[in-house]
Amino acid sequence: MIWLTWRQHRKQAFFTLLAFAALAALMVPIGLSMRSTFADLGLAECVRQLNEPNVAAAVREGCDAGFHRFSNRYSSLNLLAVLLITLPVLVGLFWGAPLVAREVEHGTHRFAWTQGVGRTRWALVKFGLVGAGAVVLAVGYGLGISWWVDPLTQTAQEGRLGLIVFDLQGVVPIGYTLFAVALGIFAGTVWKRMLPAMGITLAGFIGVRAAVEILARPHYQPARTQTFPIEGDGPPEISRGNWILTQGVRNPDGTMIAEDTRIQCPPGGKGPNGEACGAELGIEPGAYNWQLYQPADRFWLFQGIETGVFVALALLLLYVAIRRVRRIA
Amino acid sequence: MDMVLEADRLGKRYGSTWALRDCSLHLPAGRIAALVGPNGAGKSTLLHLAVGLLKPDAGAVRVFGRSPYGDTEGLADIGFVAQDTPLYRDFTAAELVVAGGKLNRRWDATLARTRLAQLGIPPDRPVGKLSGGQRAQVALALALAKQPRLLLLDEPVASLDPLARREFLQSLMGSVADSGTTVLLSSHLLADLERVCDYLIVLNAAQVQLTGTVDDLVAGHRQLIGPRHDGGPIGGVAAVVRASHTDRQSTLLVKTDGPITDPAWTVREVGLEDVVLAYLAEGNAQTSHTEWGVPA
Repeated sequence: MIWLTWRQHRKQAFFTLLAFAALAALMVPIGLSMRSTFADLGLAECVRQLNEPNVAAAVREGCDAGFHRFSNRYSSLNLLAVLLITLPVLVGLFWGAPLVAREVEHGTHRFAWTQGVGRTRWALVKFGLVGAGAVVLAVGYGLGISWWVDPLTQTAQEGRLGLIVFDLQGVVPIGYTLFAVALGIFAGTVWKRMLPAMGITLAGFIGVRAAVEILARPHYQPARTQTFPIEGDGPPEISRGNWILTQGVRNPDGTMIAEDTRIQCPPGGKGPNGEACGAELGIEPGAYNWQLYQPADRFWLFQGIETGVFVALALLLLYVAIRRVRRIA
Repeated sequence: MDMVLEADRLGKRYGSTWALRDCSLHLPAGRIAALVGPNGAGKSTLLHLAVGLLKPDAGAVRVFGRSPYGDTEGLADIGFVAQDTPLYRDFTAAELVVAGGKLNRRWDATLARTRLAQLGIPPDRPVGKLSGGQRAQVALALALAKQPRLLLLDEPVASLDPLARREFLQSLMGSVADSGTTVLLSSHLLADLERVCDYLIVLNAAQVQLTGTVDDLVAGHRQLIGPRHDGGPIGGVAAVVRASHTDRQSTLLVKTDGPITDPAWTVREVGLEDVVLAYLAEGNAQTSHTEWGVPA
């Protein structure tokens, strides 16, 4: 069975490795260049200083300027990061979906399943080996991207919990890749043709990923709130790297005046008509900025939970797929 | 007599349509049996049930006394060549022989290689690039290398040209003649199999129409020609299979249970094909009348 699996998929494996190598050849030089810029601008020192309490305003402003220069220089890479998100689903499309669907489409399942190996074992060995290959690939991808994206996340206000960068690094790519492969296999056992199976895999992957990301992830742990006054000296006291879920300006009695924004005025500042700062919004004296956020130090906890969710989904899909394989003729 | 394959009121349903229904038959050991029926009659379904690819929805099927569905050990005794001889097209014939060895505990690789060498099949070319006849031979060699006691072939010659058909069947007969392997091969054309089989199962419209040894079937049917027949009993006739009438004359194909002595009837012997066609035509007429909702 192992020999057969290898013989059937060696060409695929070869091309996957080739694509992986090509990607590395593209990404590594960019990563190195980012890191040298990061070092040249002295941003590593900035990150260290900003994590300490009571940062001097001058240091903060100098560092922010450095971060801006870095971000401006490499902002186009955010597009590349978005493209990298699609890699796990590609593994699902080209490794998962054809696994059963192609056998059935070509009728070769009638050859393979009438030899002396039961289909359950056939399925376990095939799913197991392809799954293991996908995990190895995902570990390489996760480690590589973690290294690559690190300077970008360090300079961004949002940090590693940010919506796209969180999905690229750490252990979550393993969960996503396994899920994509399992979804592909499962789709192949239901639709039994390669193209429909691939289409369903793509749609299903995007749907589940979006649902988890938007609906579930913000609630893995109870979010924290922080408030700070509208009138203040210098930039607000926001910890870098926090994932801000919602924010707004509230009146002293707690009613939300302006959603999705925050207001910052110098102490004693007046509006154009001599009114108090923000009066045109209906702000009463004592109004404050309000934020709901997930703190930056929950990164690994969230990575673990998210990976767990997707690995569990993958195992469930594989179990159902094995059960379905027993009923295909 | 030893029964290799037994089906008892076997049924398989796809959605609300029965692909096979109330199928009861026995296949004695050592026979070369033809499974004949038009396309869609349920031949593939029956073979898939016998090799355990499908699970019966009604009744039971037993191969060597075991229920084949989910029975991996029982698979060792069954060689199966599916319709259109599906093989991994990018594998070479030599690789397929190796693959078979990895997938089976009992595997005679030498037998497969010898056969393929005799047939002049190139070992190092992907089987997808071989001709249909060569591919069928590779599939047969792989099935025979399992040294099966029952060999099931689903439409093995349907896609072959007449010469390749003859060669395929000849090589099949040559290889099972000594081993005593029971063979069940399906076709929608009796003419393909008539020369090689000694047992016949006729399937039509999801049901078994006829089963028995070729000799018994030929001996047990007669054609009667005589005055217009109104359906009354005829001495020695068990059943009228098919009747056609003109104004004054009736031609009947009947199943006999004794000598026909009534001098009004001219009795003629029939060929196997006549018998089979009579049963198939009868089954067809019944179904289409029911489907169209008109009286027969």
